[in-house]
Amino acid sequence: MVFNTVSYYLLFLFPAAIAFRLARSSSRPWICSFFGCAFFVFFSLTAVGGLPGAFCLGIFLWETMFSRLYRKGSWLCWIGVLQSIIFLTIFKYWNFLTGLYFGPPDHNPWYWKGAFLPLGISFFTFEFIHYAIDRHRGRTEAGTVGEYMSFILYFPTMVAGPVKRYQDFLPKIRNPEQDSVTNWRLGCTRILSGLVKKFAIADLMTAFTNHLNQADIAAAQRWVLPLWLLAYGVKIYFDFSGYSDIAIGSARLFGIRVPENFDWPYFRTSIVSFWRHWHISLSSWLTDYVFIPLGGSRVPTGRVYVNLFVTMLVSGIWHGAGLNFLVWGGWHGALLVLHRIWTQRVGPAPAERPFYRTALCCAGTFLWVNTGWAFFCMDLSTVGVFFHRLLLG
Amino acid sequence: MMFQVLNQIKVTLEYLGGVSEAPPLKSFSWFRGPIWWGIWWAMLILLTLCFSGQTSKFIYIDF
Repeated sequence: MVFNTVSYYLLFLFPAAIAFRLARSSSRPWICSFFGCAFFVFFSLTAVGGLPGAFCLGIFLWETMFSRLYRKGSWLCWIGVLQSIIFLTIFKYWNFLTGLYFGPPDHNPWYWKGAFLPLGISFFTFEFIHYAIDRHRGRTEAGTVGEYMSFILYFPTMVAGPVKRYQDFLPKIRNPEQDSVTNWRLGCTRILSGLVKKFAIADLMTAFTNHLNQADIAAAQRWVLPLWLLAYGVKIYFDFSGYSDIAIGSARLFGIRVPENFDWPYFRTSIVSFWRHWHISLSSWLTDYVFIPLGGSRVPTGRVYVNLFVTMLVSGIWHGAGLNFLVWGGWHGALLVLHRIWTQRVGPAPAERPFYRTALCCAGTFLWVNTGWAFFCMDLSTVGVFFHRLLLG
Repeated sequence: MMFQVLNQIKVTLEYLGGVSEAPPLKSFSWFRGPIWWGIWWAMLILLTLCFSGQTSKFIYIDF
């Protein structure tokens, strides 16, 4: 969907990138905004949300107008943050939250039958919040209407990131890189390798991961269960890093570099290092706008643990409206807390260590992370069946 | 030694994936010529086409 469709390349990416290159610098933000609007409406109509989804373009227009009111120290910035959270809550968590109180849909008078998610709402909400808070802190300039619209409607990163920062994006939209040959060569290579990751590796794993349901788990032999989970670990990495490659490569065609999202996360020696190299733009967003405002590491030790755990719970529930995502976040929160306790007791890991120890640490980290994917890809009752079969037969 | 080998593999893969601009080994000058990129792109396109029938949605597109 979206990046693996021909329409994305023929209707949007290549025309927009060429028009952007040929246009005068004052017109460039408007070209991004125009194609962003068209992209949002087209894929809302054809892929998610339908006509109501397409009308959600109004959220971007409203955000653009409202963001013009933001000033350093202004309470309107907090209203901006609040409305972004309200939009996300209504579209993404309405049925989940009302379901927690009323129970299943049949018993839930508030159940929204036609619920849909506006394209990319989880990601553009983070960019809206970042802009509002950074304007409140005086850490970014306002930019023009066109520049802000081009930031929030920049279609290569609109749907699933990488999550951009306005102060990084602004100089790039004003002065994109001029070396078109290098940018197109690297951009196209990145897009093609992203497509290979998605089609040839991630989608190939689907044959195994489709078995992660209660019936298949109950019928399967025990030894095959970890292999299915391993396949999911492989799939999610190549799926999302492939997606990020396509997004980053697409942006490169415009002469714009957007943040990297992955840096060999499965070859990291600790859970902290894993999170510094997995979905990097999300991790840094959560650090800046959740962990640090909670007090970060400059509070008593117990509070630091709570801050870490809460940050990962937020990460978990952001990933999906389900209790399993909350448990997945809690799993990683617990791992981060345990790692912090461990390093406080025995000291930080030495910079130089023998290869076998590095390999063991990588394997251990991978094992914990991969176990956690169980909570990500299955609902809680299925996870229960999975671990029951795996551990007790 | 092992770290160096792994690092070389990493650098090569990043170059082939379009992440980094500098070729991994200076001695392989053909590694950066237009013919090389033509062959490499053709291989990537071929692989994509070979596997494109089984497409599914991306996991991270609003889950």
